[in-house]
Amino acid sequence: MTSTLERPAAPSGPPPAPGQTPTRSARAEGWVRRAPLLPALVFTIIVTQIPFLLTIFYSLQSWNLVRPGSQQWVWFDNYVSVFQDSQFRGVALNTVIMTLGSVLIAVVLGLVLALLLNRHFIGRGIVRTLLVTPFLITPVAAALLWKTTLLDPTYGLINFVLSPFGVGEEAWISDFPLASVMVALIWQWTPFMMLLLLAGLQSMPTDQIEAARMDGAGAWAIFKELTLPHLRRFIELGTVLGAIYLVNTFDAVYMITQGGPGTASANLPFYIYQRAFLGFDIGQSAAMGVVVVVMTIIVATFALRLVFRSFGAAEGSN
Amino acid sequence: MAEVVFDEASRIYTPGATPAVDKLSLTVNDGELVVLVGPSGSGKSTALRMLAGLEPIDAGHLRIDGRDVVDVASKDRDIAMVFQSYALYPSKTVRDNMAFPLKMRGMDKAEQAKRVNEAAEILGLTEYLDRKPKALSGGQRQRVAMGRAIVREPRVFLMDEPLSNLDAKMRVQTRAQIAGLQNRLDVTTVYVTHDQVEAMTMGDRVAVLRDGKLQQYATPSELYDRPVNAFVAGFIGSPAMNLMDLQRSGDGVTLGGSTLPLTREVADAAGSADTVTVGLRPEDLSLTSEGDGIKAVVDVVEELGSESYLYAHMAEHPDTTLVVRGPGRTRVRYGETIAVRVDPDAVHAFDASSGERLAS
Ligand SMILES: Nc1ncnc2c1ncn2[C@@H]1O[C@H](COP(=O)(O)OP(=O)(O)OP(=O)(O)O)[C@@H](O)[C@H]1O
Ligand SMILES: [Mg+2]
Repeated sequence: MTSTLERPAAPSGPPPAPGQTPTRSARAEGWVRRAPLLPALVFTIIVTQIPFLLTIFYSLQSWNLVRPGSQQWVWFDNYVSVFQDSQFRGVALNTVIMTLGSVLIAVVLGLVLALLLNRHFIGRGIVRTLLVTPFLITPVAAALLWKTTLLDPTYGLINFVLSPFGVGEEAWISDFPLASVMVALIWQWTPFMMLLLLAGLQSMPTDQIEAARMDGAGAWAIFKELTLPHLRRFIELGTVLGAIYLVNTFDAVYMITQGGPGTASANLPFYIYQRAFLGFDIGQSAAMGVVVVVMTIIVATFALRLVFRSFGAAEGSN
Repeated sequence: MAEVVFDEASRIYTPGATPAVDKLSLTVNDGELVVLVGPSGSGKSTALRMLAGLEPIDAGHLRIDGRDVVDVASKDRDIAMVFQSYALYPSKTVRDNMAFPLKMRGMDKAEQAKRVNEAAEILGLTEYLDRKPKALSGGQRQRVAMGRAIVREPRVFLMDEPLSNLDAKMRVQTRAQIAGLQNRLDVTTVYVTHDQVEAMTMGDRVAVLRDGKLQQYATPSELYDRPVNAFVAGFIGSPAMNLMDLQRSGDGVTLGGSTLPLTREVADAAGSADTVTVGLRPEDLSLTSEGDGIKAVVDVVEELGSESYLYAHMAEHPDTTLVVRGPGRTRVRYGETIAVRVDPDAVHAFDASSGERLAS
């Protein structure tokens, strides 16, 4: 290697080292091409990475805004107490249940609706539009709608509809706080899953289904043997995207239950918010934030790899 | 083993529009290979899909072995089909693709494996059994689609242009393989193609369709020798038959200044009509020495080695064109005038307005 590199330079000099000039100009050209992106990159770093570094900085300190002058270095004490905090563990579990539960139920409901919408019937366009609307509503408005119009013990439509079945003034939100939040989330996210899976269903070649019918497959066998494998990557994509969005849910929790009673329906973003802006415990909440970010990165890396792998494999087929 | 009968079967996609398949009546005997051929949009695929149970039959009947199947679902008709796109299941291996119809019929695993291996053996797919379809070439996929059809030992095979995605050489090879396989398995087969060469070489009988209507249903040689109308005459044969509307003169017609005699029966059948559509196959025309024969000016020479085709127009009527078969390595060149001799026995004559064959 080294000898071949030196050789052209050694003999005389006039011909510029053939390997180097193109590299230098290519590098310059690369800069010309990428330079316009630089402001965006710098901006992204400023708004995401600097706050994160600051969060790490604060997480190593004990600092409560209620007690001025209390700020001091405690290094990893905050992290130790985060892991010893049973409330934090409960809230982490809530987050997992809320995220995965909502996403999975939304996927299943979305799949059922997509299968229905994939057939021809009169008024399909209208039904499809109506089914999509929940996704178009501002999350805060949707949460408010669920809290006041639907789930309210006295005036709620749910109790009204269920009253013939002997359901009285059931206080859904205080009796089933986590489930109430999840219902609102599922209601908002089912249309997204439905659209994604409908696109998947419509991209399925009809001749395969015809071939399967001739091969003697019934509706269930076609669904299980052909439709589900075809939809697999759409389901994976929907699950990962849904989970990424829902893991940061704040609005629904804030509007419907305020995380209560106690922390029964709080998830991590809400709990951290409570500790930071209601408890003014900057150090503790910063440590929690760092823990959550690290865990999310780990989970997201695996999840995204799964999605990219299945799409990469699918691309090879075309 | 089965006999298939189309009895005035029709398919009307949009009420009021012309039917895609119009009162098709056709009998396919047990073990026969029948080819449906016709130009694009003539209703070949639709007819096949009616038989497959993938399109409803809007009028008429369809019987398999005497049983009316109009209301029978395709999975209960015991028919296997090879699709033009092959329609392989992308998430399954070749083995599972081929075993799928057996699995759906609840056959036990050992028997499934045995049949799949046999079929793979016949089709030369043994080494690809564990691959997914995306890792196969077009020809291999085609064979998997065939394999999936034959493992089941169905009563009827259907094939919709199964060779159209292959290159020319593969197509000729596979054509022979399919015909051979069909012969060996002796399964009633309906084969759709728009390629008349494929139809002529493969079919025991050939049905020519046009605009959803059956034109002629006969053996390849009969189609070639006695086309029932000008459409079939022009469709079958390559290059196509020369079809010309010619003026009557006495007992014959005028072609390029000379008179082409018509037989007694044709002249009678033509009656008092002024013009007759005359069909002359290029291979029934020959070059003759200058002097006698019809004069024509050569526009294009197609040299094929063993023979050549001369595309020419009449010296006196430049609008009338003619394709003539000449010998291989012909010395005729563009712009030369040639003299063409017509074999009087090989003249096909059709009614100028209806296109129906006149007499014999
Ligand atoms: N789903 C459909 N809806 C309405 N019309 C249709 C439909 N499918 C086919 N047709 C019409 O029916 C006629 C016959 O179509 P078909 O597919 O049987 O033709 P084909 O002979 O197979 O032609 P090709 O050689 O191009 O495959 C065509 O005029 C076509 O436009
Ligand atoms: Mg077709």
